[in-house]
Amino acid sequence: MPQFCLEQESFFAFKINYLLTSDYYIFGTVYTFCMLFNSIDFAFYFIIVTVAYFLLPHRYRWILLLSASCYFYMAFVPIYILILGFTIVIDYFAGIYIEKAEGKKRKMLLICSLIANIGVLVVFKYYNFLNESLGYMLNNAGYQNPVPYLSILLPIGLSFHTFQAMSYTIEVYRGNQKAEQHFGIYSLYVMFYPQLVAGPIERPQNILSQMHAKHEFDYNRVVSGLQLMLWGFFKKLVVADRLSIYVNSIYGHPELHNGSSVAIASLFFAIQIYCDFSGYSDIAIGCARIMGYDLMINFRRPYFSKSISEFWSRWHISLSTWFRDYLYIPLGGNRVPKYRVYLNLMIVFLVSGIWHGANYTFILWGALHGFYLLCGLQFNKLRSGFTHRLHISSRVNNLLSIVLTIILVTFAWIFFRATSIKDAFTLVTNLKTIGQVPFLGDGISNMAHCVLAIALLFMVEYKMEYLSDRFNLLTHKIIWVRWSFLVISVFVILLFGVFSGGQFIYFQF
Amino acid sequence: MNQSVVVFIKRLFLFMALLIVADNIIGYGLETIYFGQKKGQFAQTTFSIDNTTQDILIFGSSRAVRHYSPNVLSKALNMSCYNVGRDAQSLPYYAAMQEAIFTRYKPKMIIVDVNNWELAPGEAKYEKLSILLPYYRHHPELAPYLKQSGQWEGIKLLSRTYPYNSSLFILAYNFLFANKLIADEHGFAPLTGKMTSAMLDDYASRLKLNSQASAESDKIIDRKALNYYRQFLANTNTHNIKTYVVISPKVLKEPLDARNKLLKKIAQEYPNVKFIDFSDDKDYNMMYGKFADVFHLNNEGAEEFTRDLIPFLN
Repeated sequence: MPQFCLEQESFFAFKINYLLTSDYYIFGTVYTFCMLFNSIDFAFYFIIVTVAYFLLPHRYRWILLLSASCYFYMAFVPIYILILGFTIVIDYFAGIYIEKAEGKKRKMLLICSLIANIGVLVVFKYYNFLNESLGYMLNNAGYQNPVPYLSILLPIGLSFHTFQAMSYTIEVYRGNQKAEQHFGIYSLYVMFYPQLVAGPIERPQNILSQMHAKHEFDYNRVVSGLQLMLWGFFKKLVVADRLSIYVNSIYGHPELHNGSSVAIASLFFAIQIYCDFSGYSDIAIGCARIMGYDLMINFRRPYFSKSISEFWSRWHISLSTWFRDYLYIPLGGNRVPKYRVYLNLMIVFLVSGIWHGANYTFILWGALHGFYLLCGLQFNKLRSGFTHRLHISSRVNNLLSIVLTIILVTFAWIFFRATSIKDAFTLVTNLKTIGQVPFLGDGISNMAHCVLAIALLFMVEYKMEYLSDRFNLLTHKIIWVRWSFLVISVFVILLFGVFSGGQFIYFQF
Repeated sequence: MNQSVVVFIKRLFLFMALLIVADNIIGYGLETIYFGQKKGQFAQTTFSIDNTTQDILIFGSSRAVRHYSPNVLSKALNMSCYNVGRDAQSLPYYAAMQEAIFTRYKPKMIIVDVNNWELAPGEAKYEKLSILLPYYRHHPELAPYLKQSGQWEGIKLLSRTYPYNSSLFILAYNFLFANKLIADEHGFAPLTGKMTSAMLDDYASRLKLNSQASAESDKIIDRKALNYYRQFLANTNTHNIKTYVVISPKVLKEPLDARNKLLKKIAQEYPNVKFIDFSDDKDYNMMYGKFADVFHLNNEGAEEFTRDLIPFLN
């Protein structure tokens, strides 16, 4: 009889659950609070915090929001609040001293602050990965790795709030932002709960001033914030979590599935990750808007992009602009020889891959995008000449460009989603059998739900992209038209959504 | 108070009232359609919970639904029989169904079809209990099972529409094409068609790869599922019901069988339970002509298997 490991779930699921939950003893019952936007727990939290926010006088609101944000973060792994506290204290004082200092001292202070932030990232996110890589190299050379592994869990949203904190000290150093003197407000800048764990990664110029400003209850803002949240819930519950059922069944057993199944699952994943992440951003932006804060737009319908470079101007905008401002331009940007431009772009995409996670799959994903972009730059003229010579109309050309971009991006997502490089290559190899009858997952009904979800998403996104001045049901002058649309939207979510509380993919970054 | 706050609160209440009214109307309509069905898997589950009185009940997943013919069993054993299996379900579902049925009556014999993968870790088997949501209002004994998918399930169930989440397509199809639905034979819904040798070869190569990849994880057991399995058998033991835990035929013997051994070991702990394993049976292994797909026997294979099972039940 083999020795069994009695585990309720796989280690990965266990890890995620541990990351996302905290137990509280209330009136004799243990409640596990899980502060995901798509949970009932968050619905209660959001209502209480928002009502209290408008009831409180302006001067106490930062205390409420900071306490609420601490609670929000501590609902995941309470002890990790200390990591946030550490970076907040470092960067708060760094900002003040950088502003006062001059010359080399100023630069030294910035470097110290950046090292502290990156140090936290390295220890909690990359240490084991680097150690594993070192161990692999030493093993190949016939040595044993003497460096021990750390058994720590990745703090949720670490890369997001670390990057936001770093943008503050850099902007103070550059003189674009005054150092924040109010410790509570600065803490809130890093910890503001709607965007704490998955962005948008804000800039101090945009958000700090808003944290000082007084926000009155504004009917139109509240309504539009709620509508944006509803759209975010649709994307997450109806599209992302529905498609994830099929995607997980294929990517969970890559060796079992043929090319058609892999192709469908990869396309579904491309849509899933977009809806999962942009859904989160919509809910975050909606939440903040209700309270009077304007967060930056994070997505602009990226799958309507006609090239990879356009894709990156529409996908995870807060991160791509972060890399542009704080990495690409300091490396020389476009004002260097062509080979250096290419090198800079490749560096940015490799770093972007590493930012996403400590795994070679992410590095390869970043490298692929870098490669796509370089090819795009290299062959752009050739391509336009080709379409011109073949007399391809601009409409057909645009459509072909969109389809090609989707195919390239979807192919790259295989590496992003696969759990290992080996799995990724198994999936890519399986693509050879594209054309065989695909696996239907949980049956034709689930597939029909997937198709419906994608069709609804496409209709709305197409309208937003190309027909922005038509069919504006949410702003229709007749209230019953607006309300009917909202009621139908609620019931679409209720009837077609997945309510098993799946976590957001980008939380792990 | 700010005038816009007053307007907002008024409209919010009105909107909520509209949602509640719509929820009740839509929920009532869906409930009527759901419980009015005479054929299909929803009707089969409703019958299983509310109307079964048969001597023999067969529990299990799609492999139970497709592999056990109640007519053959009834004729041979001279006992009435019903197949309460359901596609894509697992141990928590069998336990929930047993609990709901036992509140009405106790059968004389139970056959439960199990598989090694039912003890594999994963939340899907608990999430799939949501198919029992429509019964929540009239079967409070199902509440602990339904809450497996979340502690706030009770709040979600305040909505009358929510229990029909994700079932609208099947519901609509069954309602619109009721005449085209094939009636099951006491819960038995066999598959037609035959596997080909190419399909078998393809499956064999994939199974080999999968077994290599899962060799370590095969030893990880879902403790909660295991408890449901124990609970199911203990309940039959309490009521002294003759019970057969069966692993029905497979087209290929799976290389990893650690979980099967555990299922067998636990079954042997109960005096009323007999464990029957067809997974390694030479009459079925590699006999792809008896299978409709890699997981299920076809109608001929199912009839043959049910006949082969009878000597073990006597």
